[in-house]
Amino acid sequence: MRKITDNSEYPGYLLKCQEELLLDSGKIISDFQVAYQTYGKLNSNKNNAILICHALTGDQFPAEESPITKKKGWWDLMVGPNRPIDTNKYFVICSNVLGGCVGTTGPNDINPKTNKIYGPDFPTITIRDMVRVQKILIDELGISKLLSVIGGSMGAMQVLQWAATYPESLKSIISIAGSLKHSAQNIAFDEAGRQSIMLDPNWDNGRYPEKNKKPENGLSVARMIAHITYLSEKAFQNKFGRNLQEKKDLSFGFGIDFQVESYLRYQGKSFVDRFDANSYLYMTRAMDYFDVSSEIQNNKNKIIQNGIRFLVLSFTSDWLFPTKESKEIVSLLNSVGSNVSFAEVVSDRGHDSFLLDEPQFFKVCDGFLKGIK
Amino acid sequence: MRSDYKIILDLIPENSKVLDIGCSDGELISLLENKNISAQGVELNQEKVISCLEKGLDVIHGDINVMVEDFPYNQFDYCILTQTIQAVQKPDVLLNTLKKIGKNIIVGFNNSARLSKVLSFLVSGSFDSLLKKSNSDQWYNTDYIHPCSIKDFKKLALDLDLRIINTFDVNNQKKFLNGKIPSNLFCREVLFHIAND
Repeated sequence: MRKITDNSEYPGYLLKCQEELLLDSGKIISDFQVAYQTYGKLNSNKNNAILICHALTGDQFPAEESPITKKKGWWDLMVGPNRPIDTNKYFVICSNVLGGCVGTTGPNDINPKTNKIYGPDFPTITIRDMVRVQKILIDELGISKLLSVIGGSMGAMQVLQWAATYPESLKSIISIAGSLKHSAQNIAFDEAGRQSIMLDPNWDNGRYPEKNKKPENGLSVARMIAHITYLSEKAFQNKFGRNLQEKKDLSFGFGIDFQVESYLRYQGKSFVDRFDANSYLYMTRAMDYFDVSSEIQNNKNKIIQNGIRFLVLSFTSDWLFPTKESKEIVSLLNSVGSNVSFAEVVSDRGHDSFLLDEPQFFKVCDGFLKGIK
Repeated sequence: MRSDYKIILDLIPENSKVLDIGCSDGELISLLENKNISAQGVELNQEKVISCLEKGLDVIHGDINVMVEDFPYNQFDYCILTQTIQAVQKPDVLLNTLKKIGKNIIVGFNNSARLSKVLSFLVSGSFDSLLKKSNSDQWYNTDYIHPCSIKDFKKLALDLDLRIINTFDVNNQKKFLNGKIPSNLFCREVLFHIAND
C-alpha cells in the first residue's frame, strides 16, 4: 500500500510505502518512506515535470529557503521562478535519497522488524536503489514521462542511472560534474572519510543513535577531507592564501594559525549539525559501487528508441569529477548512438562550481531545456 | 542558404548520420535534420554551443583539434568540415582521425591560390591578403594558419589514401567527377567529397 501525506517534520510531503523493496544487495527493505518537495505546478498533460537529484550532502530543498539551514536552498540559483529550471514553467520534484537523513528511510530510522533503529543493520544501498525509490514516487505522482532528470555529482550518477534503467520514463537528462563510475581516487577519499567516522569511539559500531551520542569528530574530519576535494587549488589560494587567522604572527603550536584551517574546521563543525554519520557511510558506499557503463550499453536500444536527449556538463577546474570523466560519458553515449550534447564551463572554483553563481553554466542548462520538445 | 550547404544537402542521403565539425550556431545541422538526417556538431565557441542547444540540436563543446579524438570509430556516415580546415592545427592529423570515425568526409574551403588572391599578394607584397578571414586579421593573428590551394588539398587527400569521389566548384555549383578538380587558378571556393576505402 502506498500513501502520500504531508510531512509533519519538514515542509513538503511523504510517500509511505508498505511493501517490500528488493535491493541490489539482495536484501529487502520493508515499509519505507520518501520525503520530497515540489515547486511549480504539474500541467494537465503531466508533461512538464523535472526531477532533481541531489548530491551527497544535499536534501529535497533545492529552492526557496531551506528549513534545515534557514539559508537559501542549495540550488536556489538554478531552481525557482525565472531561473533556468523555471518553476513558472516546470513542475519540479526533489526527494531525499534512500539512505539519507532528511526524512527518507535511512539508517537512523526504526527497523519495522525489530522495532529498533537500523544503525549498521541498514542494508547497503546503491545508486540504482535510490533511483528505484524515485521511480516509485514518480509513478505515484501519475507522471509517465519526465521532461528531464537533472543533477550534479552524486546527483549526476542518479541521472545517468535513470537513463539506463528507466529510459522509457524520461525525455532528457542533464549530468553535471559526474562520471560513469567512481574513480579509484574518489573511492580512496571516501574511504578516508569513512575511516575517520568509524575510528571515532562515539561511532560505537554504528550503534550511536540508540545510545544518544554522535561521532562528531569523525564526521567533521570526514567533511573536512571531502570539502578540500570540492574546491580547487586556485579557489583556496584566492580565498585564503597564507593569511593568518586573527593574529599577526605564527603561534608555533598546533592551534589555528591560518584562515584556511579555521574555514575547514568551521565546515566540519557546521556539517555535524545537519548530517548523520551513518547516512554518510551508506551514501559514500553507494557512490563507490556506482558503475553504469554496461547498463547503458545493454539498454542502448531503448535509449535510442525513446530519443532521450543527453546534456553532459563539466567544469574546467573540477578535479574530483574532471572533464575527462564527463567526456567518457559522452564517448559512451556516442558509441551507443544516442543524442548527446556536451559543454565544459570555465570556472576556477572546482567541483562545487555547479552550486555557485556561474552564469555560463546557467545559460547552457537554460538553452538545453528550451530546446527540448 | 550558403551555396556550399546546398551542395551538401543534395549530396547526403536521408537517414545518414553526420558530424559537422565547427558547426557554429547549427545552421547546417538544422537543415540536415529537416531532411531527416541525424546530425551532431562540434563547436568551440560556447555562445554558439548555447544557440545550438536552444534549437534542440546535439552539439559537443570543445576544440576540434583534440575533441574529435574522443569519438568512437565508424560512428558517422559523413564528417563535414566547411571553412575550417585552414584553421586546424594539423589538417593531416585531423583527416586521419576523421577517416576512422566517418565513412565519408566533406571538406570545403576557399582556394588560397586563386588568381585574384595571388595577384593581390603580388601587388601588395603582404601575406595579410592571403591569410585574411576578417578585416581585422593580420598575418600574425589570423586563424587561417594553413592556407592551401585546391592542388594542395588533392595531394594531401591522396597522400592519406583517401579517395576523391567528387569535387565541386561551390560558386558555380559545378560538379567534377572521378577525381577531377576545379581550376586551381579560377575557382574561388571548393568542396571535396572524399572517402576512406
